[in-house]
Amino acid sequence: MTIPHAVRLFPAIGVGIGFALLSSVNAQGTSEGVQEFDPLAFPGYVVGEVVVPVPSEVFSVLDKLGEPNWQQEIRDLDLPASSDRTQLSLLFGSVVAEGFVAVQAEDKQAVQDIGRKVISLSTSLGLKESVLPHAQSILDAADRSDWPTIRKEFDLTQKTVRDTMEQMKDSDLSQCVSLGGWLRGTASVTSVITKGFSADRAELLNQPMLVEHFLKSIKTMPDRTRDHRAIHKIDQGLQAIHNQMVSAVDGFTKPSVREISIVCEDLLKEIRARG
Amino acid sequence: MKVLTTLRRIRCPKLISPWTLTAMALLVSPAFATVDDAHGFAMEAAMPYVEQGFIVREDYWNGEVKSGQQLMIRHQLFKGNEYAFWLGTAQEDVTFELKVYDEKGKAIEIDEKSDQMFHSVRVNPPKTGTYSVVFSLKSKKDKGVFWALAYGYR
Repeated sequence: MTIPHAVRLFPAIGVGIGFALLSSVNAQGTSEGVQEFDPLAFPGYVVGEVVVPVPSEVFSVLDKLGEPNWQQEIRDLDLPASSDRTQLSLLFGSVVAEGFVAVQAEDKQAVQDIGRKVISLSTSLGLKESVLPHAQSILDAADRSDWPTIRKEFDLTQKTVRDTMEQMKDSDLSQCVSLGGWLRGTASVTSVITKGFSADRAELLNQPMLVEHFLKSIKTMPDRTRDHRAIHKIDQGLQAIHNQMVSAVDGFTKPSVREISIVCEDLLKEIRARG
Repeated sequence: MKVLTTLRRIRCPKLISPWTLTAMALLVSPAFATVDDAHGFAMEAAMPYVEQGFIVREDYWNGEVKSGQQLMIRHQLFKGNEYAFWLGTAQEDVTFELKVYDEKGKAIEIDEKSDQMFHSVRVNPPKTGTYSVVFSLKSKKDKGVFWALAYGYR
């Protein structure tokens, strides 16, 4: 039996306070019998692994709150030729996120174009072999307009690439894939919200934990990645986005959504910059 | 305290139908149980939900934990989606506990269902934000328990 290797487990604050506390904090009861819980005083173990939502998780709520014109949200895929693996990883994440936008728009041609870009980027990253079956499934499913399968395969494609990168000890690049995807997904979300602002739609941007996760992952990247021009700018941009999120105590305003949108778009331009 | 909790990223079986996955999971002998099997059972738990329109995420959490040890996962949920969490194990005679708390530490209402090898929970987040999923698995005979937690949305 293989014993899995330990990764990223952080004893929460309060470990060692004692077994008595451990049993009492489980679900602290108040006099009203309402269960309250303080994650900062959690005596057990915090699983450090953060699963970043795919863009379609947010898109599905936007669909319920109205009928966004997803076709308008699809962007031109004019990608730079690059051998820079950090840039390629960021591009890869953003292109997969573009795929989720194209699925939402049910645009067969856009999905096929994105599927081909996925193959091209994975080839440049040296990951063609692991990505090709998924990319082919995307192209085949696009022929059948099988949107659920395409959505699943985009999710699998991203996971496969990140897993492969981590196996190759390139966890910084794996984080870049997630970052590129989150930025592109958030740019689409802010674009839709800006076109038809409502408090319910804007609330979808309340994601400070994810931004903190990205900021933390940048801090732990090796110097060569952290000093990369795009990563440096993303770090600054994420700080600005985080400030907007934490200051939106009474909800996001239209200007604050626009601000997040501008930052995301600028960072995506940086990711797509040539040479 | 010796911690038996471990985590690892594993590859999801590719191009295998959910039925094959279930059959594989059911064939597993407890003596050779692994985190992969725990994920297989989590996916078995997901099946009826998929029929109801839930989209299963490919990413998931997994590992091995000391029996009864509490674990916490912080996760982003969006108001307007309904979520389902599926906690699977690879061992028999395990009892599950899973609760979801909002940012203020208030337990949110969940609809839960247990089976021998998995536990399913439905959640309608009242707000968009970070939620804490706190869970434990208690085994009657094993010191360590393999687990996997997957989720889906609709």
